[in-house]
Amino acid sequence: MSRQPTYKVSALTQGTVLDHLRARSALRALRVLRLPPDTTIMVGVNLPSKRHERKDLIKIEGYELTQEEAAKVALISPDATLSIIREYDVVQKTELTLPVTFRGLIRCVNPSCIVHEERVPGLFRVEGNDPVSVRCEYCETSFAEEFFEFL
Amino acid sequence: MVSNSDFVGRDIISVGDFGREELLFLLDAADRFESETRPLLAGKVAAALFFEPSTRTRLSFESAMGRLGGCCIGFAEGGVSSQAKGETLADTVRVVEGYGDLILIRHPREGSARLAAEFAGVPVVNCGDGAHQHPTQTFVDLYTMRRECKRLDGLHVVFVGDLRYGRTVHSLVTTLGHFDARLTLVSPSFLRLPKELRRELQEREVDFTEAQKVEPVIADADVIYVTRIQRERFTDPLEFEKAKDAFRIDNTMLHKAQPGVAILHPLPRVNEIPPEVDSHPHAAYFRQAHYGVAVRKAILGLLLGQAGEDTA
Repeated sequence: MSRQPTYKVSALTQGTVLDHLRARSALRALRVLRLPPDTTIMVGVNLPSKRHERKDLIKIEGYELTQEEAAKVALISPDATLSIIREYDVVQKTELTLPVTFRGLIRCVNPSCIVHEERVPGLFRVEGNDPVSVRCEYCETSFAEEFFEFL
Repeated sequence: MVSNSDFVGRDIISVGDFGREELLFLLDAADRFESETRPLLAGKVAAALFFEPSTRTRLSFESAMGRLGGCCIGFAEGGVSSQAKGETLADTVRVVEGYGDLILIRHPREGSARLAAEFAGVPVVNCGDGAHQHPTQTFVDLYTMRRECKRLDGLHVVFVGDLRYGRTVHSLVTTLGHFDARLTLVSPSFLRLPKELRRELQEREVDFTEAQKVEPVIADADVIYVTRIQRERFTDPLEFEKAKDAFRIDNTMLHKAQPGVAILHPLPRVNEIPPEVDSHPHAAYFRQAHYGVAVRKAILGLLLGQAGEDTA
């Protein structure tokens, strides 16, 4: 009898599930989210996926991501799904998408950009999806996700 | 179809905001405004916020405003503004918009003009934001090429000198992509056009080649655009001495060029064009500086709702 591999991860009582994250993006997403240090987090990396060949998965117990945090994850892994769990039930499921433009979230990579001197959040236009890349609307510098410094 | 109303109240921040038809419309307006002497901008005030020194840009804007009957107020170096006291640019702009009908800004930080435009209720013209953009210089360069070569499409333009740090070159090479230009980029290897810009030219299918010597590539040039190589870019003074001679245009070299070749330079020049070239009939760099007034008259007129057309 052949045995199918299974991945045993406890179901959440309440919290957030990030599924269909791009393979090997979960640890970067967690670094960016800077969750409270005592948060229970389960992470799956390089799991088999029907949608893509491989995917990552994050389950966060007892913590619901804010819109801003979800927007940051979208910049690392667009197309991921975000589910909010309450009493074991999925009460909200969202497919993350890249915005056309967005304010804040990251710093402009150009040290000469005016936003580093003024008290205004950066303004960015998304240019690419894979890898994610943006263009600063002020200094027009383009840069890819590997150079994103999240706020 | 571009019309005057496309320019009224508009900000001029980056050449990337302008398509081919808008650029041609602006150049046509400059032709009209060159001889315009009516006080079309009487009672109008341009507020010039020059946080960095400028000679040609500031004076040609002041001249343009004065020739159209308006006036310029402002400062010519950052140390005298409230920014020296810690005021943000956004606050400076919100104050100054009450003093002028239009803001001219030069600032060392990249993106500063776009930010100023976001906070200002009057049009903002970028007169240079760090190494980023200097769109009115690009308009002047295009205008000069069209005036000197009697056309703008299909020109072979040879750029010579520092192509890495020169913002005038960066804006111009991408803009020439609208006009089916062929570009030859001549520079020392470490002062090549930046990689991102070369990629952009490739993506936009602009015909360009790179070279390290001027003489072999100028035979069929329509325009030679020379820029200054700055000593401070070199770590080895000997390398600078070699480069400043290798990327220089002189009369001997120009004998190998077409008789009608136009020689442009955004100025100031140092060694790269010796004074002997000044008498060459197509040494156009001083005319280029003078065309700046016509182009800037057109910009001021259009933004403030005056087309410069004969209304008689």
